[in-house]
Amino acid sequence: MSYKAVIIGGSAGSFQVITKILANIPAGFDIPIFLCLHRLKHVRTGFEEALSIKSTLPIIEPYDKQHIRPGKIYLAPANYHMYMELGNTFALSTEPPVNHSRPSIDLSFFSAAYTYKNKLVGIILSGANKDGALGLKQVKLAGGTAIVQDPNECQVKTMPTAAMAATDVDYIFTTDQIISFLKKI
Amino acid sequence: MLSKEEISLFINVVKKVSTYDFSDYSERSFARRIDKILSDNKMEMSALITKVKSNPEFLERVVKDITVNTTELFRDPATWQALRFRVLNKFENQSVINIWHAGCSTGQEVYSMLILLNEMGLFEKANVFATDLNSDVLSIAKKGEYKYRFNIDYLDNFDKVINENPFNYEDQVSVAYSKYFQIDQTRDLLKMNDFLVNKPLFRKQDLINDGNIFYTKFDLILCRNVLIYFNHELQTRIFEMFHQNLFAKGYLVLGAHESMLGPVASKYVRKGLFYVKK
Repeated sequence: MSYKAVIIGGSAGSFQVITKILANIPAGFDIPIFLCLHRLKHVRTGFEEALSIKSTLPIIEPYDKQHIRPGKIYLAPANYHMYMELGNTFALSTEPPVNHSRPSIDLSFFSAAYTYKNKLVGIILSGANKDGALGLKQVKLAGGTAIVQDPNECQVKTMPTAAMAATDVDYIFTTDQIISFLKKI
Repeated sequence: MLSKEEISLFINVVKKVSTYDFSDYSERSFARRIDKILSDNKMEMSALITKVKSNPEFLERVVKDITVNTTELFRDPATWQALRFRVLNKFENQSVINIWHAGCSTGQEVYSMLILLNEMGLFEKANVFATDLNSDVLSIAKKGEYKYRFNIDYLDNFDKVINENPFNYEDQVSVAYSKYFQIDQTRDLLKMNDFLVNKPLFRKQDLINDGNIFYTKFDLILCRNVLIYFNHELQTRIFEMFHQNLFAKGYLVLGAHESMLGPVASKYVRKGLFYVKK
């Protein structure tokens, strides 16, 4: 199985997990990683910088229609939904929040599932709501690999639990297991 | 999610029965809008297509639901601060300033502009034009009446742009909100004052088919988070159209995460958030 992209959704309690994952991605990682993370409403800037400190790969908040490149980490910009289009470009949207979230994890996962089909890894981390559950289900339906962070390890387990209820996930992983999985793909 | 084929079928039907052409919309974000319309109306794609063919009023409703109407007063305060101290001040010595809000939605940025112009003493010499495809949002824009509770961030944004100067922290004023709008908490209303409401010219316009419908060129065009729904080719056509309708050294203002890609970008000089006509 050769994957073409990884998409990660996270909310409350996911920041340290993401930071640890990004610090351990091998430097030659040659597919894009999409991050769709909820942030506090007023934290519009600084998030990219905070995540960048320990990341081995560059982190980019993409502009609309920007090309998707391998080996880059793309963070959904504040107050936009982020879609991955066929033809390797982003499309952003300011349509209203879905489940109180913009960016919406579900919407990003839907578009990634459509675009990358069985070549996608979808990962849902710690979070206090159900965003991402339908998205991960769609990843699985499209033939991709569905992973959740082990609820026993999560600061807030609502999000991975909701995803597990919505779909039959492939793996329930601790942060370290997620890292070793990503190192092998 | 809807497939490319289902989306193309829908677009072709709409093209046949109306003047609306969605062929060059960004595919996944367009698919998302149609998905939402299907689930809001509890319909399948085949039923949507049948109804769109036979019922012109329903088609109008669908077109309105496709458009995204998110806007705020002074959305992205940093952009407005830059407009104030880096852009609008360049036009101070002109006798007339022409401004076009393309895709103005419910008008909050039109009022943001009018408030800023008034604070800068440029209100009288400005001609402010505003257009949108959706007549429902234009009626709201013309009234200048918004929900208060839902939009409480507006006051923070107002303070940042009107009362603070990010380039000089000692330069602080305290302009009262009531100079520009009245807040009625019991009725949950924020209403723009009449002198603002009476100033702009609002018109229905289709950015793709109609181009510039005003008999003038512009010093400043604001088109924020509108073109993100179009594909790259259509974006390029609109950037060309804006270029033709800007005065030399006129400014184009896009949304916070929009940019101009490809050869058309060489017709503009990028200055931070802004594009200046060469």
